[in-house]
Amino acid sequence: MITLQEVTKTYSLGKGSSVTAVREVSLEIQPCEFVIVVGRSGSGKTTLLNLVGALTRPTSGSVMLDGVNLWELTDPQQSLLRSQKMGFAFQFPSLLPTLTALENVRLPSIFGKKQDSSAIEDRAVQLMQKVGLEDKLSSYPRQLSAGQQQRVVIARALMNQPEVLLADEPTSNLDEKTELEIMELFRDLHRNMGITMVMVTHTRQLISYGTRAIEMANGQIIKNGS
Amino acid sequence: MNLYWLASKNISGNAFRTGVVALCALLVGSFALFTTLLMRGAENSLRLAINRLGADIVVVPEGSEAKIESALLMGVPARFWMSRDILSQIAAFPDVESASPQLYLATLTGASCCSVSDMFIIDYDPQTDFTIQPWLEQNQLDMLRLGEVVGGTYISATDGKQNITVYGYLVTLMANLEPTGTGLDQSMFLTFDTAYDIASKSVQQAERPLEIPTDSISAVMIKAKPGSDPHLLAVEILQTIPGVTPIESSNLFQSYRQQMTGLLKTILFIMSITWVLCVLLLGLVFSMAANERRKELGVLRSLGATRRFVFQSLLTEATLLAFAGGATGLALTVLIIILFRNALVALLGLPFLLPSAGSLLLQVLVGLFLALFSVNLAALLPAMKISRQDPAIAMRE
Repeated sequence: MITLQEVTKTYSLGKGSSVTAVREVSLEIQPCEFVIVVGRSGSGKTTLLNLVGALTRPTSGSVMLDGVNLWELTDPQQSLLRSQKMGFAFQFPSLLPTLTALENVRLPSIFGKKQDSSAIEDRAVQLMQKVGLEDKLSSYPRQLSAGQQQRVVIARALMNQPEVLLADEPTSNLDEKTELEIMELFRDLHRNMGITMVMVTHTRQLISYGTRAIEMANGQIIKNGS
Repeated sequence: MNLYWLASKNISGNAFRTGVVALCALLVGSFALFTTLLMRGAENSLRLAINRLGADIVVVPEGSEAKIESALLMGVPARFWMSRDILSQIAAFPDVESASPQLYLATLTGASCCSVSDMFIIDYDPQTDFTIQPWLEQNQLDMLRLGEVVGGTYISATDGKQNITVYGYLVTLMANLEPTGTGLDQSMFLTFDTAYDIASKSVQQAERPLEIPTDSISAVMIKAKPGSDPHLLAVEILQTIPGVTPIESSNLFQSYRQQMTGLLKTILFIMSITWVLCVLLLGLVFSMAANERRKELGVLRSLGATRRFVFQSLLTEATLLAFAGGATGLALTVLIIILFRNALVALLGLPFLLPSAGSLLLQVLVGLFLALFSVNLAALLPAMKISRQDPAIAMRE
């Protein structure tokens, strides 16, 4: 279970000025939920996702995963937790350009538990099949379309069998048809693999894919319900 | 898949960054090796030349100090004379153990009578000599007879046998001395008797006869008695015998030492500037690269990479590039110095002797260390900065 208690995140802009992106947010996300966070640009939804993923330190409040305060962990412990329990899909092209699609999918295995290399290879290939890109194993990111790249990112996010998948506007750079394909893939992963999913989007039409929707404005949750 | 695999993938994926970093490492490594090789090579040459001469003091005609240094160090033929009487005056000093005369001659330039053009010839007296004679004995060779010569390491017979033509006179090359990296390597040693024989026969056999002034010598090599002070002996000679300059072996090649020091300072200055510029350029390249790869490194953190992993990954890339660039530069430097040694000696006006394999390896390792140190120094700050950043901030900017 993910728990945020009175979490505030303020960014320093230098010269004494700052901006508060998330303001005293408290939230609980149960295992196997598919939470969709909507809101306008600057509403704080991406910061909220980063706080859940321990990608940024809260200015105040606490972020807990299964009862463990993420910011009381050391950097290696926190990194191990991210590697073993979390998967990420970002809005921007986040594949490493110097690695092939298959190598990108295998990448998280460097940081996870020690595994047999052939088992890693098999799992990466299976994941590429799952996202429908079994014929693109040796392709480099530049040789893939935006939709294909996002599928590889999703396969990579699943490599270490995470409990939580965090997606930050994963379909914002895609055309409508590809967007729907990716959302179907998310729904399929949620239903069949039982992964807890938190997805941030500014497209309200995608709310129907989740089990709960949260709306944010000015760094605060203004609506929270199914 | 591990840290090194990821680092090598990043290296191969960015030609520009790889090229600039490797080039800087190449410059730093090769410049460092070039400087140390050159300076140590010159220093070794001077030391060996002094050892080869074996004298505590060399007495030459007043004003000929620079000429003898050029002749012995660079093989520039020199002719200067003083009366043979000076030898007996010097030998009479109580602190002189032995005094041996030498006569300096040269072959003709571009003349068919001499198979080697402009060669420095050193005539010695086998009865008193302590420069060549001990070497001959050490190598179990007989005393040189009439018409026999010993050559520096670069003296070779052109007819494929042992004969060299000097003023139309065929001398037999009996052996070659070990290299010193100085003009002695291009010099020929023969006895006074052979020199006088060449001179007398050159009247008929050579385009121009070899003229040796009667009762003249060019220098006197002095070995001081054990326990005596060569400096005091030199002062005494200077004060007693007019028209001559005694040069203590510790002061021999003083002008070359000064030239070397000057050159060393210039090279060190250029090297320091190059090093600072290279480190600054590398720092800039690594900062730009770290900045350009912020998102990528943020993504790595999100996948579970620790700060330490990101830091190590950047330094591993730097180390691999420094190693590749540095090793290439060092190999090229060694190759260039071996291939163009003579041209370098002529260009810099310094003697030069390649170090032994062990010493060369040590200098190569020092050059490689400097390349690795410089590149890692430049990469340290950007790597620390980027690895400490919040992943979310890194991915957002």
